[in-house]
Amino acid sequence: MHEISIVRNVFQTLEQTYPEKFDRIVKVQVQAGLLSNVQPILIQNAFEALIQEEPSLSDVELEVLLLPIIAHCDACDKDFEVKKHRFICVCGLPSKKIIQGEELQISEVQFSGQ
Amino acid sequence: MNTPINPKSNRMPVGSVQCDNTTLNLLKANDFVAKAIRERLPDMLVINVCSSPGSGKTSLMQETGRRLRDKINMAVLVGDPETDRDAIRMKEVGINALQIVTGGMCHIEAQMILQALDHIDLTGVDLLFIENVGNLVCPAAFDLGEDIRVTLLAATEGDDKPKKYPRMFLTSELMVISKSDLLPYVPFSVEAVTKDAREVNPTIEVISISSLKGDGMDEWCEWLVTKVNEKKTSQVAI
Ligand SMILES: Nc1nc2c(ncn2[C@@H]2O[C@H](COP(=O)(O)OP(=O)(O)OP(=O)(O)O)[C@@H](O)[C@H]2O)c(=O)[nH]1
Ligand SMILES: [Mg+2]
Ligand SMILES: [Zn+2]
Repeated sequence: MHEISIVRNVFQTLEQTYPEKFDRIVKVQVQAGLLSNVQPILIQNAFEALIQEEPSLSDVELEVLLLPIIAHCDACDKDFEVKKHRFICVCGLPSKKIIQGEELQISEVQFSGQ
Repeated sequence: MNTPINPKSNRMPVGSVQCDNTTLNLLKANDFVAKAIRERLPDMLVINVCSSPGSGKTSLMQETGRRLRDKINMAVLVGDPETDRDAIRMKEVGINALQIVTGGMCHIEAQMILQALDHIDLTGVDLLFIENVGNLVCPAAFDLGEDIRVTLLAATEGDDKPKKYPRMFLTSELMVISKSDLLPYVPFSVEAVTKDAREVNPTIEVISISSLKGDGMDEWCEWLVTKVNEKKTSQVAI
């Protein structure tokens, strides 16, 4: 699995996006769609491992939020939640139009005040 | 590994906390490179071949090479965690191949393909196969700049895989049921697996193939030739 590279990627992205404020980050929230195949516990473990390399990150809290899969049915013009990976609307029609569930993104960053 | 019970708070401010709601896509870098690959290979069909370890990716490409090398100019990039064996197997059947040693990594990223393009001569190539690392999970999330993703599922692996690894089947245009010569000996229902795959991906095509005995190879080769031609004509149209 590539959890460790995901976690590295999180902090590289933050360093690039917030070069001035990076040192003041206290909390990071990552959203992972169920289709991203990301396991929150493995991300946490990978983060613990990264802290061994980068002790300055030890005060940062990392939260991983799983997002359910949502698809859109054109016939009903409605969104529906995909459960047990059945991409089928209540009306019986299949749909591959994914509205949510593939994302892997940083959704919230908290900085300490100065 | 122990998860902290209390939020770590040494950095916690005495004063205020500033919160930034944002969307920073973590796969953005990969998608950016994938786009660059597509732009660099406008008239070549690129197929990303995925499966579990040992489902028969290299065997299928070898047999495809034998059958189509006089019709289609083919090249292969092979991802392998540690060795260059699969590239050697492709060269044995006269197909230009380059190994991408992923150094133990569980998937290929677009950046590795972009770098590899500088080390393989693709002049006149119509069809570029990328053999991904054997893994049905991680490669699903990485666009390699391919036109088509094909996933192999061997008869010996069991017919429950589309539901277990939905993203892979969701993003594939074709599911190849490989090692079909073994179907009589294992509990594997082509019908059931096709139904499950189509619940995940209603438009997925399915072909059963035995690279060993040759069943299904004609259908597969025809499918490939059609796709190669479609790519070419779409280019002319633009
Ligand atoms: N019976 C049978 N065996 C096959 C067939 N295709 C491949 N095999 C065998 O399956 C094994 C693995 O085949 P490979 O082609 O190396 O599989 P792969 O997917 O490239 O493997 P990795 O690159 O290691 O993930 C070999 O021992 C092949 O001989 C087939 O159609 N029928
Ligand atoms: Mg192989
Ligand atoms: Zn509907």
